[in-house]
Amino acid sequence: MLVLFTDTDTDITPSEAREFGYRLISMPYSVDGKTTYPYVDFDVFDAHAFYDMLRAGALPNTSAISVEQYRNYFEPVFAEGNDILYVHFSRAMTATFDAMDRAVAELKTRYPDRAFYEIDTKGITIGSLNIVKEIGDQYRAGRTAEEMLAWARDEVDRFAVYFFADDLRFFKHSGRVSGLAGTMGTLLGIRPIIHMNSEGKMVSVGKEKGRAKAMERLVAYVEELGDHVADHRVIVGHSDSREIAEEVIALLRRRFGEGLRIELVDVNPTAGSHCGPNGVGISFHAVHR
Amino acid sequence: MRAEAIDGVLFADMIRAGAANLDANRKIVNDLNVFPIPDGDTGDNMYMTIESGAEELAGRENASLGDVASSASKWMLLGARGNSGVILSRIFAGISRGLSGVDEADPAVLSRAFAMGVDEAYGAVSVPVEGTILTVYKDAVRYAAERLGPDSTIRSYFDDFTAELRRSLERTPELLAVLKESGVVDSGGAGLLYIADGMRMALDGQAVRTADRPEETGKKRVDLSLFTEDSELTFGYCTEFLLRLQRAKGDPDAFDLEALIRWLNSVGDSVVAFREGTVVKVHVHTRVPGDVMNHCQQFGEFLTLKIENMTLQHSESTVQNRLELRPAAPRKPYGIVAVAAGEGIRETFRSLGCDEVVDGGQSMNPSAEDFVRAFARINADTILVFPNNGNVILTARQAAGLYDKADVRIVPSRTVGEGYAAVSQLDTSSGDTDAILAELDEVVAGVVTGFVSRASRDADRDGVSVRAGDFIGFAEDTIYTDASERNAAALALAGALDAGKYDVMLVVRGAGASAEEAEALCGALGAAFRRTEVIPVDGGQPIHDYILILE
Repeated sequence: MLVLFTDTDTDITPSEAREFGYRLISMPYSVDGKTTYPYVDFDVFDAHAFYDMLRAGALPNTSAISVEQYRNYFEPVFAEGNDILYVHFSRAMTATFDAMDRAVAELKTRYPDRAFYEIDTKGITIGSLNIVKEIGDQYRAGRTAEEMLAWARDEVDRFAVYFFADDLRFFKHSGRVSGLAGTMGTLLGIRPIIHMNSEGKMVSVGKEKGRAKAMERLVAYVEELGDHVADHRVIVGHSDSREIAEEVIALLRRRFGEGLRIELVDVNPTAGSHCGPNGVGISFHAVHR
Repeated sequence: MRAEAIDGVLFADMIRAGAANLDANRKIVNDLNVFPIPDGDTGDNMYMTIESGAEELAGRENASLGDVASSASKWMLLGARGNSGVILSRIFAGISRGLSGVDEADPAVLSRAFAMGVDEAYGAVSVPVEGTILTVYKDAVRYAAERLGPDSTIRSYFDDFTAELRRSLERTPELLAVLKESGVVDSGGAGLLYIADGMRMALDGQAVRTADRPEETGKKRVDLSLFTEDSELTFGYCTEFLLRLQRAKGDPDAFDLEALIRWLNSVGDSVVAFREGTVVKVHVHTRVPGDVMNHCQQFGEFLTLKIENMTLQHSESTVQNRLELRPAAPRKPYGIVAVAAGEGIRETFRSLGCDEVVDGGQSMNPSAEDFVRAFARINADTILVFPNNGNVILTARQAAGLYDKADVRIVPSRTVGEGYAAVSQLDTSSGDTDAILAELDEVVAGVVTGFVSRASRDADRDGVSVRAGDFIGFAEDTIYTDASERNAAALALAGALDAGKYDVMLVVRGAGASAEEAEALCGALGAAFRRTEVIPVDGGQPIHDYILILE
């Protein structure tokens, strides 16, 4: 049997994970030296409290989990004679998968008949979530690992993600966005527009002045790049800026009609540690990223 | 002879006397302010402009008239501040061209040289406005020329010149409605009159009364406690001097300025060095001023010397000073210079990516030399300059003309709001400077900047009755509101400017407003204009209690 894994960096909640049959790997963040494992150290993510803490000045770090932690997640599955498909957040954004590779290599020597598959969503938060859910749908529909991997080879690059940031402090701290305009250290109403490229890295693709223009730009990307948008989920994520996210949804509905399958999600705290509060992003099926 | 012809010695005396007379009267000139807020600084600007020429005339007793005029004008071009200062420096540049190669001038030669000053001054501005210093000078030059006769003396020429200057100055309110409305004459023209009066007094051998000023405008207050027994020399010394090349030490004609500049760059940075005749002016930031002195003394002797520990220089610009002592930056395609007053606004511009933020703004305009120094600190092919004030654009253009090591382009931003909008949208990645500038012009056109300041006098303007001590809200040259409280003025101003139709409103708090007041204002603005994103900025600027930037 095939067991699905994903991680908390993909914005999936434990109840959704259960629904699709995913086991959840918790990716930690730390504030002032205190490390928190989402959905291990808490049951429900209080996004408002978390982002308020960031607004008040907290600057969290994220960290890679260890070889042993991966072993603890995977070994019981192999021991029961099952295989694993791990749909994870972008390898290009983290060193954590080096530890995973070592854990898997080690486990393979002990469980040589077991298979370990992985799908790199080349994204984080909503970009990953869209793919995680598509795979979840297929898993529930009884697709094989090979079929799902084949789908992913073509389709991962066709889930586009665009979002805007409100505070550069977090991007600067995490250093995970390239091309952020010059040495810009302050925003003052400027919204950098960030895109997840086909290598799975965050790249700044421009900036807009003011929230209204930034929101329009997100929707304009859906118009420009969208492909069979209504046949897939459109996921709108926000870091404690629900009102703005809802305005984006209203814009989307006006342009594309009521038939869109739109989901509104909170950006998970570990990804939120990189992008900070008040950001809004959109993930949709596209001709290309 | 003192009355029939003019020579270098006399002309140098006259320029110094002109500067001194303006100095004695500069508050009067400052107060000739169209706007009823205490930001007038035409007198300061013009004084600092002419003074930078006058002080370089020290030790030029034997120079010819042409040399004195050329030297004075060259330093004035560099020292020019504000529009009136730039125009003044160009008047002297024209006069200097007219006196080139002349040992002494009779009234006819002087008159022709003064006429060249008219052309040069009008050429300095793209759209000359009548009723300003330009008109006043032009009228006086024309009148004095018409009155020239066989019996004319330098004295009679100057009598005619200053008499018409005064009459023309009094006519300026007829030419410029804004002067008439405010009940003032043109401040630049007035500054010129004080200079001409001073020059005429020098013709008579009269000493000019110098002003009693306990506080030197523009002088920095030095806090010696900033450098203690345990301090480390982080910033080095700002070292400036005038060096007279001495024949006894080598042929002045063979002196190699470029070699000196190279050497200065090896022991310091922010090097600015110019040569005028046998006088070399040097500015350098260095940790070893003694080495610089010893090296330069090989070529001549010092006329003036100024060495300041930069840790003690106005400590608020320490960030900038620290940057200056870094090794020369690698050459890059674009550099950005902005002008701003108030530490918060300066820091904002730095964090928006400006390489250099020149201190100055509504009052205390920067000089052309301040710009040239900033350009020299940036190692870039193209330098974009954001003057952020209507009275600074001309100075920036003048500085661009004086600097040849980069393609310096001026983005004519007239307010900090326009500067913020332009700098924050700046994207140089295309490398197409003309296209970048065209795009910025568009950005600048879409910004409205409103100001709230305390009124310094009663006034009736634009249908608003202004009372001294109240707060007025204005934008461009229009006063929209008068209120006894600054927040009320800001709210009314935002309404008058139709803030609700803009996406973003920056509320820049000046030194006059408290953090609590600004917070309350932002809350009220947010409630009044729900669609508009209100962004507070701690600007710390003088004069303007609030600046509202709408985009």
